[in-house]
Amino acid sequence: MEKIEITLTINETPYEVRVLPNDTLLEVLRDKLDLTGSKEGCDEGVCGSCTVHMDGKPVRSCLTLALEAQGTQIKTVEGLAQNGELSDLQQSFVDHGAVQCGFCTPGMLMAGDALLKDNPNPDENTIRRALSGNICRCTGYAKIVEAVAHAGKPQAHCPDCQTSKQDN
Amino acid sequence: MSDYAIIGKRMPRVDSRAKVMGKAKFTADLQLPDMLVGKIKRSPYAHARIINIDISKAAALPGVMSVVTGKDTAGMKWGVFAYTRDQQFIQTQKARYIGDEVAGVAAIDEETAQKALDLIRVEYEELPPVFDPMEAMGMETELIHKDFPNNINIHVNIDTGKVDENFEQSHYIREDTFVAPEESYFQAEPYAVVARFDSDDCLEVWMPNGGPHMKSKPLSNAFKIPLHKVKVRKIAIGGAFGGRSEICPVDYICALLAKKTQRPVKIKFTREENTIATRQGHAMITTHKTGVDKEGRVLARETTCYMDGGAYSSTGPIATSVPFLSMEQAYRMGSVRYNGYRIYTNKPIRGMIRVHGRSFAAGLDTQLDMIAEYLSIDPVEMRLKNSRQQGEYTSTQSFVASCAMDETIHKAVEKSGWKEKFGKLPPFQGIGMGTNSVQTGFPMGIRGGSQAFIKFNEDGEATVLTGVVDNGQGNDNMVVQIAAEELGLLPEDIHLVSADTETTSSDPGSYSQVSTFVGGQAVQVAAKNCRAKLFEVAAKVLKVEPSTLAAKNRLIFVKDDPEKSIPIKKVVRISLLNFKSVNAEGGYWPKVDMKREWVSNPHGQMCEAFSFGTTIVEVQVNSSTGQVKVVNATAAQDVGFALNPLVLEGQFEGSIAMGGQGGMLTEYHEWKDGRCLNPTMLDYKLPLACDMPKIDSIMVESVDPKGPYGAKEAAMSIAMSAAQAYAAAVSNAVGVYMDSFPLTPDKILAAIKSKGGKKLG
Repeated sequence: MEKIEITLTINETPYEVRVLPNDTLLEVLRDKLDLTGSKEGCDEGVCGSCTVHMDGKPVRSCLTLALEAQGTQIKTVEGLAQNGELSDLQQSFVDHGAVQCGFCTPGMLMAGDALLKDNPNPDENTIRRALSGNICRCTGYAKIVEAVAHAGKPQAHCPDCQTSKQDN
Repeated sequence: MSDYAIIGKRMPRVDSRAKVMGKAKFTADLQLPDMLVGKIKRSPYAHARIINIDISKAAALPGVMSVVTGKDTAGMKWGVFAYTRDQQFIQTQKARYIGDEVAGVAAIDEETAQKALDLIRVEYEELPPVFDPMEAMGMETELIHKDFPNNINIHVNIDTGKVDENFEQSHYIREDTFVAPEESYFQAEPYAVVARFDSDDCLEVWMPNGGPHMKSKPLSNAFKIPLHKVKVRKIAIGGAFGGRSEICPVDYICALLAKKTQRPVKIKFTREENTIATRQGHAMITTHKTGVDKEGRVLARETTCYMDGGAYSSTGPIATSVPFLSMEQAYRMGSVRYNGYRIYTNKPIRGMIRVHGRSFAAGLDTQLDMIAEYLSIDPVEMRLKNSRQQGEYTSTQSFVASCAMDETIHKAVEKSGWKEKFGKLPPFQGIGMGTNSVQTGFPMGIRGGSQAFIKFNEDGEATVLTGVVDNGQGNDNMVVQIAAEELGLLPEDIHLVSADTETTSSDPGSYSQVSTFVGGQAVQVAAKNCRAKLFEVAAKVLKVEPSTLAAKNRLIFVKDDPEKSIPIKKVVRISLLNFKSVNAEGGYWPKVDMKREWVSNPHGQMCEAFSFGTTIVEVQVNSSTGQVKVVNATAAQDVGFALNPLVLEGQFEGSIAMGGQGGMLTEYHEWKDGRCLNPTMLDYKLPLACDMPKIDSIMVESVDPKGPYGAKEAAMSIAMSAAQAYAAAVSNAVGVYMDSFPLTPDKILAAIKSKGGKKLG
């Protein structure tokens, strides 16, 4: 197979890369561009750790060919914070203890971020459904669900939102 | 109850910012210059003699830099104990399971490495395999390991005496058998290793580990190089759950390839390899025979357990003991006899896992419910009659210094609405409870203690050096909280250097739930020693006695006159200008019985503290499909003292997910001729966000006299008791005491059909 030169726009930055036709987007992100925030957990589209946005929609980068990503806007976990300032969802993950080992976290964040862009006020069941393509082995999901529900919307009853407000 | 500044508070974890930004580096994320890709050739046979290995074609393939086989390892063996050293790093004579390591390659890229594996020709002579532990004990064909008759790897026998007499005096006796197949860890991160030898011939290695010092020693032995030349580095770790404590053959193979090529080598496991070639949970067949008096107090118990250990010993003696120990800690028994057999089979290797022995633990509690029903006693009363009390000794003579088991039962009962629900729920709805106890530490000999070092920098901030490792449970944050509390600093003033064998002293790792109790306590002692030095200098400046001082919020002040204070930074600078050290060390060694041994002497102080937990769950069973919906889970544990309730809640919730939701409803392996049929996440059913019930976490604080701030193991008693509670709740809902776990729809439908769905309780 011959390598093909393509341009990928990732986190608003264009990258020129030479790829094989069967290279996945995840392989290119991790191995060629050192964007290792997206994780390889199962390599078969089940665990969701490699989730990135393609034109705002969450996709499995392990099941997406790099060639397919040409001409689209790719966003990875590295693109969520702006100038070192965490997004509301990232901050909410930190404040609510939604991160344990952290391996599934990038995928969870990308799935949660896509949900909130689509539906800024999802109820708990909607959040649970939206995150059900992402496997976490540490948390039992409770704090992740809470972090998504409270992102950017501090809740008076939540001690962890209160912590965040005081810090700010 | 305390006036701590940082301890006991809901503090977001220090490691979470890097993790949400995608900046935390896990082993597979590492890219080193000139790094090669390593891969492992594995046996396709469950039991076969290796006649010959021809690597010539593979070695000649352009891009292949090294091929190693058992010839390069000279048959070197690994085992946790001297008497269990049965696993060669690369097999030279026999393959004992599908996946056993027979060769390793390093090549310039993955494709070349894969081609090289295909070019290695291994000539095997197939031997009769055995996959069932009961059959394995009666096999007359070739033993899996020649020195182990009947394929019995480990036999643990514990007998307190008076068992037969007490059975004779019992009012009621039951004997029941419970079974469960193997399960797997499915850590989010597949296993990976990066290794290189540096210019001083030091081995530098990164891998997910349950304790860096537990990895460095066997590597030092294997390469015959001093310990200081083995530098296990800190790296983010994507979960362990008991499966990453020991050395893994691939650690050695990766390092060997790096040595031969003099280049860095990375080996990244596929998800299938992570399931097959690391560790799994033991399949177990457990028979409990229990005799009680008229009030339901256990007079005698005899438990026999057969564990499918797979191909090698691994942590065999420990694994064969822990299910029993958890039971003897949780419940008082007049007398007990235990026979645990770990049996070799031609299946992947089994080790310790979060809920170690689901058929054992859930079987025991199911039987208690059966006895309670016979005696017309409420399950809550049944447990309270037999629950462990503070100040007692366990059956194997461990003193229980702190225990609030009853309080966990009472609080869980109240929160769950047990009294309004048990026996009063509509058909196919049920409620059940489990109680358990977990060790805070095992006797671990020379690596049982931990030492920490603290150095103050002239800007008034401090660096903490500790061997404590964070597998994801929050140990880094725990160490920072303790250091900041004792030094009077803020968490952001603490720089952590940890889990690195070059710079940190020996530490037991996260093995046996001991990180806070031992590693955290070593940091506490070091920080107190460091603070004492600062107080001595500050006392002279403030013209008071050191004993009158306290430290908080970057200040040292007089306790009774807080206005009288001096910044810590200033004290550090004054100390340095007056030639006084501002650094300190500290260590902690748990007072366990060093003569206690798993097989030869299973008596004496096991660990300094035990946790106690109660879980109650409420379920709805669909009588048409056999599916279980868990409505609510209430988890109460005596954690000693909650150092960070935010982190502990996360541990409780994760324990319900792994111990109950996954462990008791969906997780198990299926096999065909020794081949695992569901090694991937697609086929093995892990709990998802949409599956999980609402979880109420209750932290009970008995304040252990030896634990740091009174803390002890946190949340493993929840994982264990969750398994028991899920079993009890489903049994309660379907009207049949379930004895085969996990509780999959086929078993539930069969149970409903067999008994016509009569309600229990």
